[in-house]
Amino acid sequence: MFANILFSVSSLLVISSCILMMWTKNLMHSCVYLLGVLIGVAGLYLTLGADFVAATQIMVYVGGVVILMLFAVMLTGGKDYQSQTQKILNLFPSMGNKYTFMWGVGVAFVFGCTLIYFFRNLFSVIKVIESDDSYTPTIERLGELLVTDHLVAFEISSVLLLGALVGAAIIARPRKERPAFIDDIVDDHHHDEEHH
Amino acid sequence: MISLKAYLFVSMILMVTGLVVMISRKNIVAILLGIELILNSAALNFVAYSKYAANNLDGHIFSLFIIVIAAAEAAVGLAIVIRFFQVKETIHIDEASELREELTR
Repeated sequence: MFANILFSVSSLLVISSCILMMWTKNLMHSCVYLLGVLIGVAGLYLTLGADFVAATQIMVYVGGVVILMLFAVMLTGGKDYQSQTQKILNLFPSMGNKYTFMWGVGVAFVFGCTLIYFFRNLFSVIKVIESDDSYTPTIERLGELLVTDHLVAFEISSVLLLGALVGAAIIARPRKERPAFIDDIVDDHHHDEEHH
Repeated sequence: MISLKAYLFVSMILMVTGLVVMISRKNIVAILLGIELILNSAALNFVAYSKYAANNLDGHIFSLFIIVIAAAEAAVGLAIVIRFFQVKETIHIDEASELREELTR
């Protein structure tokens, strides 16, 4: 019963935030709607009995990625680069322009139809387990799995995170102008060479 | 009890809206937001299948790794966006055309 209510609230939050995120004109609002999507997905994880994944989702995404996105929006101006207003654009103000909007909806329509077609045949292929709603904590078992079966992937992900951190710091660093005294030193050196 | 179909439907909505955001926006940060939506739909599918079709915890592990990779991708992507803004003073995606061959007609 509780799982049903949580599922309804979370899926409603996810779907409405998704559509608003697609619809809105303001990039800052779009980031805030992404917050709603991520919290809703964490609620869906809870209904699936994945407590540790839900907690990680809240901590990493809501506490880290969205804040990073908001900082990037604020540092780069936050404009959504509207094209000139056309009739379709007034109806759907968030989109780039008429052509990109049409491409997006067309591709999404094709993908949606394909996915629904697969859903139709899915349940004859996969035997769905009728599990009960009893809740068992997963953290202990997940910890064992991470250091036994999935140890290599665990270590590689730590190397990946280190590389991403160093790479991000190096890429975003502002290029320094060469200080003036170095130019003087280089000029003196050339001057000496010419004398000899 | 909630069926697997309901989770797959929510995941499909996430995937399709992420695609629309990725294709139709012209702002690089907005495109990164669309990528986050698609990664979330994949992670949700992993956890749902691990409960309803496999009944073990491997899907949870994959979902955790997806979260880790999404965090790394966001950090590097936003660093690239900020560097691009320092060079070009805009984050319109059509300005990133340095490697595109000039069309001769």
